[in-house]
Amino acid sequence: MKYMIMMTGSQYDFDRLSGKADDALSGPEAAALYEFMTAWNQRLVESGEFVEARGLAAPVHTRRITLRAGVPVVTDGPYAETQEVLAGYTIVECAGFDRATEIAAQLTLAPGTPGDNWYVEVRPILEGAGDLDA
Amino acid sequence: MPDRGIEDLLRTEAPQVLGAVVRRYGNFGTAEDAVQEALVAAAGQWPTGGVPDNPRAWLITVAARRLTDLLRSEQARRRREEQWRPVERPHLPDTDDTLILLFLCCHPALSPPSQIALTLRAVGGLTTGEIARAFLVPEATMTRRITRAKQTVRDHGQRFLMPPPAERAERLDAVLHVLYLIFNEGYAATAGPDLARPDLAAEAIRLGRLLHRQLPAEPEVTGLLALMLLTDARRPARTGPDGALIPMDEQDRARWDAGLIAEGIALVGDALPRGEIGPYQVQAAIAAVHDESPSSAATDWPQIVALYEVLLRVSANPVVALNHAVAVAMRDGPAAGLDLIAGLGNTLDADHRLHAVRAHLHAMAGDHAAAQAGFEAAAMRTMSLQQQRYLHRRARREADLASP
Repeated sequence: MKYMIMMTGSQYDFDRLSGKADDALSGPEAAALYEFMTAWNQRLVESGEFVEARGLAAPVHTRRITLRAGVPVVTDGPYAETQEVLAGYTIVECAGFDRATEIAAQLTLAPGTPGDNWYVEVRPILEGAGDLDA
Repeated sequence: MPDRGIEDLLRTEAPQVLGAVVRRYGNFGTAEDAVQEALVAAAGQWPTGGVPDNPRAWLITVAARRLTDLLRSEQARRRREEQWRPVERPHLPDTDDTLILLFLCCHPALSPPSQIALTLRAVGGLTTGEIARAFLVPEATMTRRITRAKQTVRDHGQRFLMPPPAERAERLDAVLHVLYLIFNEGYAATAGPDLARPDLAAEAIRLGRLLHRQLPAEPEVTGLLALMLLTDARRPARTGPDGALIPMDEQDRARWDAGLIAEGIALVGDALPRGEIGPYQVQAAIAAVHDESPSSAATDWPQIVALYEVLLRVSANPVVALNHAVAVAMRDGPAAGLDLIAGLGNTLDADHRLHAVRAHLHAMAGDHAAAQAGFEAAAMRTMSLQQQRYLHRRARREADLASP
């Protein structure tokens, strides 16, 4: 069973990571975070549960396409600076939702995350149309 | 003191970096600013800090980071929405980004001065200040010109794609024309104290080589590169020690650049058999005949006349007709040339070349009074100081001959 673990972040969170924000992560803090994430990822690889992981570019590099009066309209970077949007995801293949949740929950222990308001989400990935009935 | 090696490296990388950033993030206009800033940062840091192992990756990273900042400050001011026009052509993954950039910069909605400025900046990697100095306009003027050009490209739905096949030939003509204009501005500066601004000629040749590498089978691309090389080969002999213009028939041909001539002639030989004869190939062939002649007198004028007749068929214009008249005069004598010029009417009256040619032919025919008047009329019509000096000198010589 596959699950997608979705990490969210605002433009501000990207700035903290890239060292731009006022309360940006210090060098050692950033290094600790990278180390944590690498180790988390590596454990999934070793357990055979890792499928794929991707990080997304900053929210400003977003195009939203909507249909207006029958014409596709592109809006560049449609997010407010503080809006939480998808920042990256990891797909795992594991025993079930509880195991996927356990894996995702480890991320809350990551150093340098924005604190109590930060969250990750896990959702099952459909393997076929039949899953919709499940 | 800028490091030539690093400067050359940056100029080479500029279009590749811009292509990569625009392909990935879109926003041509802002991306172009971001790449310029990355180039400036590199020019400042690399001479002392060393060139990174992968310069292009460094530049792309820095430019992308800068683009993020620029976009955020832009979007804080206004949210941009635009209609998405569907494009029914496949992405060609093997197309070099530089080529797409050239087509984008030479967009038909832009005036030639804007096409030139944008090409020099986005593809040539020159700063706005350098371009402004090359064209003798204030930097603020050039900044406005480039900003407006980018705005126009954006308004026309800036998609980072090759033009559709139906427009390819016409768009390529525009690219060739822009390179030729840059070359000419470098080779025969239209205004100011210097006869030539070799940096622009060198830049046009560099861009011409780049285009030729991308489109080696396009005979007119080959023709233009050959024409620029064969013309530039004569540059060392074209001015005297005082910077004054020396006409081709008086030039010391030993000072012509044999390497450039050989390269240009090889290119002409490569392009001509491909069948589609275009004006750049014919002009290159004419330049080749001149460059191969040991002296003006030994020039194969009948062949040059024949080539000009081909050129008149593929792209007739008054300047070509004027040059044809000169060749005919060299083959058949000045009277034949003057007859042809008389047939041109008044279309070129404001052009100093018409008056200079007519003066030369009158001088050849021994009509020194008419020659003097012609050289003076020509001098009044050129903005180039060195051309003015040459023409006045010739007028004085004719005056002396007219009344010894």
